[in-house]
Amino acid sequence: MDRRLWREPSFDLMAKILQVNWLYVILLCCLAGVGYITLYSAAGGSPEPYATRHAMRFAVGVLIMLSIGLVDIRVIARLAWPAWVGGVVLLGLVLRMGHVGKGAQRWLDVGGLQLQPSELMKLALVLALAAWFHRASRERVGNPLFLIPPLIAILIPVGLILKEPNLGTAVITLMLGGAIFFAAGVRWWKFVMVLLPVPLVVKFAYAHMHDYQRARIDTFMHPESDPLGAGYNIIQSKIALGSGGMWGKGFLQGTQAHLDFLPEKQTDFIFTIIGEEWGFAGGIVVMGLLGLIIIGGMLIALRCRNQFGRLVALGISCNFFLYVFVNIAMVMGVIPVGGVPLPLVSHGGSAMLTVMVGFGVLMSVHVHRDVVFADADDDG
Amino acid sequence: MSNPNDPGLPPNDPPPNGGPRNGGRYGKPAYRTGAARSDAVPMMEYSRVTEADLKGRAVMEKAGLRLVVAAGGFSALFGAVLIRLAMVTIVSPATPHRIDRPVAEIVAAAPHTPVDSTLPGQRAMITDRNGQPMAISLNTVSLFADPAMIGDADDTARQLKQILPRLDLEDTADRLKRTKRFIYLAREITPREELAINNLGIPGIDFRPTQHRQYPLGRTAAQVLGGVNVEETGFAGVEKSFDERLRTNTDPLRLSIDLQVQAAVREELVTAMTTFEAIGGCGIVMDVHTGEVLAMVSLPDYDANTVRSSPGDDRLNRAVGATYEPGSTFKLQTASMALDSGVAHIWDQFDASHNISIGRFTISDFEGKHRWLYLPEVLAYSSNLGAAHIAQAMGSERQRAWLKGMGMFERTGIELPESARPQVQPAANWKEIVTLTVGFGHGISVTPLHVVRGTAAVANGGILLRPTILALEPGEQPEGVRVMQPSTSDIMRRLMRLVVTDGFGKTAEVAGYYPGGKTGTAEKVAAHGGYKKHTNVAAFMSVFPMNAPRYAVYMMLDEPHATKATFGYATAGWVIAPAAGKVIARIGPMLGMLPDIKDVVAINQSLAIPLQPGRPPGAPARGPGGATIEAAAKVATAPATPASPPRPNLTVPAIMLPPAMSRPSPNIRRETNQQTPMPPGSGTVRVLAVSAASSNAAR
Repeated sequence: MDRRLWREPSFDLMAKILQVNWLYVILLCCLAGVGYITLYSAAGGSPEPYATRHAMRFAVGVLIMLSIGLVDIRVIARLAWPAWVGGVVLLGLVLRMGHVGKGAQRWLDVGGLQLQPSELMKLALVLALAAWFHRASRERVGNPLFLIPPLIAILIPVGLILKEPNLGTAVITLMLGGAIFFAAGVRWWKFVMVLLPVPLVVKFAYAHMHDYQRARIDTFMHPESDPLGAGYNIIQSKIALGSGGMWGKGFLQGTQAHLDFLPEKQTDFIFTIIGEEWGFAGGIVVMGLLGLIIIGGMLIALRCRNQFGRLVALGISCNFFLYVFVNIAMVMGVIPVGGVPLPLVSHGGSAMLTVMVGFGVLMSVHVHRDVVFADADDDG
Repeated sequence: MSNPNDPGLPPNDPPPNGGPRNGGRYGKPAYRTGAARSDAVPMMEYSRVTEADLKGRAVMEKAGLRLVVAAGGFSALFGAVLIRLAMVTIVSPATPHRIDRPVAEIVAAAPHTPVDSTLPGQRAMITDRNGQPMAISLNTVSLFADPAMIGDADDTARQLKQILPRLDLEDTADRLKRTKRFIYLAREITPREELAINNLGIPGIDFRPTQHRQYPLGRTAAQVLGGVNVEETGFAGVEKSFDERLRTNTDPLRLSIDLQVQAAVREELVTAMTTFEAIGGCGIVMDVHTGEVLAMVSLPDYDANTVRSSPGDDRLNRAVGATYEPGSTFKLQTASMALDSGVAHIWDQFDASHNISIGRFTISDFEGKHRWLYLPEVLAYSSNLGAAHIAQAMGSERQRAWLKGMGMFERTGIELPESARPQVQPAANWKEIVTLTVGFGHGISVTPLHVVRGTAAVANGGILLRPTILALEPGEQPEGVRVMQPSTSDIMRRLMRLVVTDGFGKTAEVAGYYPGGKTGTAEKVAAHGGYKKHTNVAAFMSVFPMNAPRYAVYMMLDEPHATKATFGYATAGWVIAPAAGKVIARIGPMLGMLPDIKDVVAINQSLAIPLQPGRPPGAPARGPGGATIEAAAKVATAPATPASPPRPNLTVPAIMLPPAMSRPSPNIRRETNQQTPMPPGSGTVRVLAVSAASSNAAR
């Protein structure tokens, strides 16, 4: 292990702070600001109970992000596999003694804070896979046997998450792993081979799903057939969006959301408030902001000169993208209702924390974009 | 990618230091330490490009390419979501299905005319004669399940039970475990229940629209309407007999029933049934000129909406589906046939002083007068002995022919599937005892509607009509069959009125409606044969107004019990005739008739007939003298003399007594005393001479 960089006088704390991508931090602040305004409206024109807490959490989140951003990427790389093990242990714990909510065990109560290990697991998985494929850059990348350990590293947490059960997060985790496999250069035909039996797996999975999961998918297929049942959310959400039109009804003027036609409007369905009050234009602006954050993450990945950082940045951007895509698509009835919040906009502490930790790692990648890892045998 | 065979090293990638190309494939690197990199970042620890560096850079290049591809994929998905956003906000926004008009406005705009047509594909509505709905098809929702999609049947059943308490937990769980792909769990789910079940989100549980036959009036005319099974096919009553019509033609089916009349009859019958603790009852109102049934009540009844779960006994329509011995109400037939055929005249007397014993049967009178009775007295006092003697004078052949002509041997022809066939002795078994007993309504079982139909013919001028449950078009006159001369009907109307004014039917009198009728109390046949004492069927067959008959009203109680108010009597005159009177008083105004009290003297006079009419000079007469009986017997046996040509004017105006005189009076009693002797009439001897009649005669 080469420790010379640590003692490099030109790369001290101050230099690192200067290296932080402040533009990116401003983008995140803008998004959190959108969240503040929207939560203010969701509470009927009051900072309580959502907006103030949202702002405070985000402030804490920014501090966490910057702290992690200054940690050397090689330290993070070395912590990758321990993080993975820790994530799996937490997932096991949540199955044993987790908080049961909405028919599933997903939460761990840690000192009043509700921790969702599956969210932490995604980050740990990204790190672990990136570490593995970082090493692969000097190994026999094309060797199929080489792909088996990371595959197992994906399937263990996915299986645990499925058992919670949390179908949406399991699928997202699977897609995340796939994205890193893809970026690491795994050949196309291998993806095809994996994807071929998917219909069979889906059929099998559907047969073993929980009732509420099946109801969600059935409702998604025909929401109008069941306007007062599980299709209620989607229809009310679409009505709210449709009532916004081009320019929206104006700040605090949304009736659909305020009159409690929408359940969970401050969490999963917060985008409908944006759509109703700010219209298509507001939706475009928010989606543009989200798009800039994702593209920014991708650019950080591209600019990074080490494989680990590049893959981690891609994984975190991809995770963020999946959050955004699943949430907005769900709100607009493109995909089934999945219980995924809109990051940095939706109310909720646990999600905010994990997202900000992820951005902290991303920032670390950016700060240490030119760091070259020492001997491959030492890390991972 | 550029070269699928070589993912590790793109061939076009020259070594950064311009050195010789690394010819090794991946996995077989040639060992070489590279030259110093000119483009190295100053912070880099390594100043020389190694083989590993080259490979790493190649992988990075590839990762970069793949990153761009991934970014492209993200952009595409993002674009799709954006397009979707445009769709839902601008292009085709969903609109809420909410009321945006004041409710008052909507109510004002709603059509005020009642629903008089049925939607295509729906079962047609059934209405009463005035267009009031009696049966409507509603669109409802049924709950069904696909057991193959049900995970935990027990848990599912438990959840459903919480919302639908009417479900049977075990049965539902068993049904959910079946291997079928489609099972009904519950029908006629309310919207609230549907919402609650939906919120359970159980896959494999679904709803489908179905029709539901609704009977808004519940118990009213339940047996007439019958009901539909789960496939919406009629299985009883009008629903069955007109099933095809109701399914193919959506026009409402208009019944002859008048719901107001039906309700009044039912209410009075329920009251009587409760008062006298009867096990059942029956009420019929029929238009005597058209055969339209305006009311048909059978008790106990049931809510037509729950017909499938109601006991079978309640579903029995006693008016058409059960046969009873008609009892004394049948004496109207006996009197009619004797008068119409000339066998008897109103001034003829019949021996009611002695019981008639045939075999092990004895015919006796209830509260008999123990003397010879004039024909009007036979009806007014409901003398079995008198009626038996009249029937005996008729003879079995003519009696059978008459009853056959009156439709007593066949179904009435009403359009109800429950319509029953009378129980009649075959001709070979129609012994003399049968002739005698049928004379007062025993030894034959017919439905109440048979009695009503026959009495209507007696009262309406002599036309037998087919009873119908369908409303006729205004002015439509159905074809009838003449079964007696109008003059006979005219006498019978007076006699029926006499029963109410002077006989056992006094309790049915209603001022201004001039009802006439006949009581009938028949002992019920026991299960082992023979008659059950103190277990009877009490009926009152009435027609009103007797001066111009319009409607026949039949009321009957099955097994009434005496009360203090009836002084221990459970006979028709006490238990059911008052109810018939109340019904007449109530339905008269409903049917457009106001009580006529102004002309009471004139009308009563026109209907009056003495209890003991005097014999016109020169006319033959039956009586205690006995001589004329032989003559009458000759007439009876004479061929082809059903209506003897030289009949005297039966309306007997010349000898008609003033109305006041027609009441029973000491004067008449004196007269009676004068005529009491000579009990051993030859007729009685003849009856006794008849050998022990068949034991089943009384059945």
